[in-house]
Amino acid sequence: MEAEVIKANILLPTHLSFKRMQMSDKYPKGYARGRHWKHLKQILQAENYQNFPPTDPNYVNIESPPSMYPSKKFCDITGFEAPYVDPRTTLRYANANVFKSIRSFPNEHVQRYLSLRNAAVVLK
Amino acid sequence: MQRNPPLIPPSEKRRFDPLDRNPGMYFKQERDLSVHAIAPMMGVFVVGNESIADEVEFQVDVIQQTKLEAIDISSNLAFLREHFSSALRRFCFAVYSHDFIFSMLNLRAEQVDHPILITECVCNPVQSRSKLAELLFEGYGVPSVAFGVDAVFSYKYNQQIGVCDKDGLAVWSGLNTSHIIPFVNGEPVFEACCRTNIGGYHVTDYLKQLLSLKYPNHMSNITWEKVEDLKMEHCYVALDYASEVRLFQKGAKEAEEKNRCWQLPWIPPPAEEPPSEEEIARKAAIKEKQGQRLREMAAAKRSSRITELENELQGLEFLLHQLENVQENDVPSFLSETGYISKLEIESAVVRVTQSLKKAKREQVEIEEKMDPSMTEKYTLINIPDNMLSPEQLKEKRKQLFIKTTSEGRQRAKQKRFEEELDRERQNELDEKKRLENPELYLEQLHAKHRELSEKFEQRKRLKVNGTHTNESHNSSGGVGCGERLNAAQKERMRLLTTAAFDRGKGEDTLGTRDEDWQLYKLMSKDIDDDDEGQDEDEAELARVTSRLQDIDPTFVAKSEIGPFQTIVEIPRFRPLTKEDFQIILGVERFRCPEILFQPNMIGIDQAGMDEMAGISIRRLPLKGNSVEERITNSILMTGGSCLFPGMGERLEAGIRKIRPFESPIRVVRASDPVLDAWRGAAAVPFSEQTFSRQDYYEKGEDWLRRYNLRYTF
Repeated sequence: MEAEVIKANILLPTHLSFKRMQMSDKYPKGYARGRHWKHLKQILQAENYQNFPPTDPNYVNIESPPSMYPSKKFCDITGFEAPYVDPRTTLRYANANVFKSIRSFPNEHVQRYLSLRNAAVVLK
Repeated sequence: MQRNPPLIPPSEKRRFDPLDRNPGMYFKQERDLSVHAIAPMMGVFVVGNESIADEVEFQVDVIQQTKLEAIDISSNLAFLREHFSSALRRFCFAVYSHDFIFSMLNLRAEQVDHPILITECVCNPVQSRSKLAELLFEGYGVPSVAFGVDAVFSYKYNQQIGVCDKDGLAVWSGLNTSHIIPFVNGEPVFEACCRTNIGGYHVTDYLKQLLSLKYPNHMSNITWEKVEDLKMEHCYVALDYASEVRLFQKGAKEAEEKNRCWQLPWIPPPAEEPPSEEEIARKAAIKEKQGQRLREMAAAKRSSRITELENELQGLEFLLHQLENVQENDVPSFLSETGYISKLEIESAVVRVTQSLKKAKREQVEIEEKMDPSMTEKYTLINIPDNMLSPEQLKEKRKQLFIKTTSEGRQRAKQKRFEEELDRERQNELDEKKRLENPELYLEQLHAKHRELSEKFEQRKRLKVNGTHTNESHNSSGGVGCGERLNAAQKERMRLLTTAAFDRGKGEDTLGTRDEDWQLYKLMSKDIDDDDEGQDEDEAELARVTSRLQDIDPTFVAKSEIGPFQTIVEIPRFRPLTKEDFQIILGVERFRCPEILFQPNMIGIDQAGMDEMAGISIRRLPLKGNSVEERITNSILMTGGSCLFPGMGERLEAGIRKIRPFESPIRVVRASDPVLDAWRGAAAVPFSEQTFSRQDYYEKGEDWLRRYNLRYTF
């Protein structure tokens, strides 16, 4: 082990006295650990919130609703205000210079910019 | 009743320091003798399970007999970032972290003998709670467990120290989520709570993406940790995003000042000094010497050859001389020894050797000039009319005629070549002049010509390729198949053949029985691949134009001949990389990224921003009246790691003022220590009475936890 790792003190001994079951017993070496954690959606579904009165606060209840104000459109590349949209790539842009650079982007770039806005084309 | 000893907050706790490269664990022991020993002491653990300021900080406070240990563990474990929505669902990490904590506390007993208070998110799903309880009870043997909301703890603590009032609003911004929790009479009103799924993680992620898209060649430098550092150091919240952005768009001077520049490590290439005088002189001397050596070698070779030839000449002359002395009959036998057959041969050999000798001596061929006078001698017979000559002389004459015509032809050809050269020279000069006059126009013309030619070339090639492909696919016999009659000559040929064949008629193919039929072939053009010639010409032309363009235009590159659909790649201009290439400039991004906390639409998340959330939360309050709302807005507390951005307080205030009626009191304060206040608040709560003990766990089961609610006031 490197000296800095030891000094940082982030390693644990293999046998911890306060644990009832050691990690090394649970996952013996060489076994693939197939951990399947439940997704949040599954957890929430299993909660069965509909059996309880709707006024009770629960994880789903307190989520905030969509914004009431119309969203302001900002340029995807520069962050300025964007009155225009490129029809080919649906990117928002602020002025002609930005437009020129948009048209020279490879497709991968375009998709990444769109995914920043959650607007990328996702092929399932 | 057990009372916990007065809390001494751990001093000088080292929280995450942006410049710290080696987080590790910081262990601070404080033997504070002012802690009175109260026996029997029950050690109480408070474990903060919330991700604060983009990392998980576990703070464990053990109140024991004489020691007050505060362990502030900043573990920069990357996978812990995946806590979505703050609801704990990956319990392996909980296990690891608990292991870590407990082992750091040097617990030696068979089990953990202390009650544990765990912080969670608002309205934690029961499953999370129950799994965690299971882990603690079964795995560690903990006697009892309590759960509480971290934001509430933070508020309570600040209330205790007087920063905010009994009624107020807690604005908590964490790693993955942001909550707004109103307080009435010191207790949180969870029905009116509001949560948006945007937190510090999203801000950092946004910044990272923006930077890597803007500077794709520095992507390896833009790591998550580094971007977090940048965010903490440089990001701020603009009071009004639109106006701030307009400042930048105009390019105003304030905008320039707000730009921060991050210089990546860069080593300039070792500058090549212009070769000094002596260097140049030395190099020239070496070259001169080499040249001299070559010349000497050539001279030596030439002189040796000359001597060789002279010897040969001498030998031959001697032979000739000898031959004169020898009689006629003995000539063949005499000559057979030497290898020459006749005197004529020897003489011609002599002539040859003298010529080569002269050539070697003078390096200039003046044979042609010499030939001409010798030729004119030999043409003597031509002028004499035929009837005066003997048959032998006639033969001579014909030979001479032939020689004369050929030499004249050669001369004419040379002349023509010379003239062509002159012509081309003139053309080039004209071209140059045109270019110098109007370089752009010239360049454009050349480009246009190149394009034309290359297109024609490629089209022809494509047709040919297509033709051969169809040929192969149809598997027809050799020669002209069904798809191959592509140019005019071939079409004409076919037409001729078909008309000729058609003329016959009578159900029989008798083309070719008569001799005149074969004249048909004389009408056709001789070569089928006539276009090849034209193509060669075009190819030559194209090559010339290409080379010319390459000479003149530095940005021109010949289209590759592989396919017309390949994109033209510009030759990268090989200018030396400067310092500026290695700079990353944060301008608009500084306030664009934290803006998503207030406008989640920028990132595509369709929820309300923080200022709007406050309005929603107040609206959701179940009991209104008694000017509760005003009291609430009068004490708004910002906590949580992601509220450390400068300018956030003002922005929140401005946002809330928009929603509230005119002149309602609004006061926004930041918690005394946004990052660690939750822990402190949790440490202050006497929760030992409100725990969920192991007995309960075995009897009532986990589902009972649904009804578990900590009472926060005391």
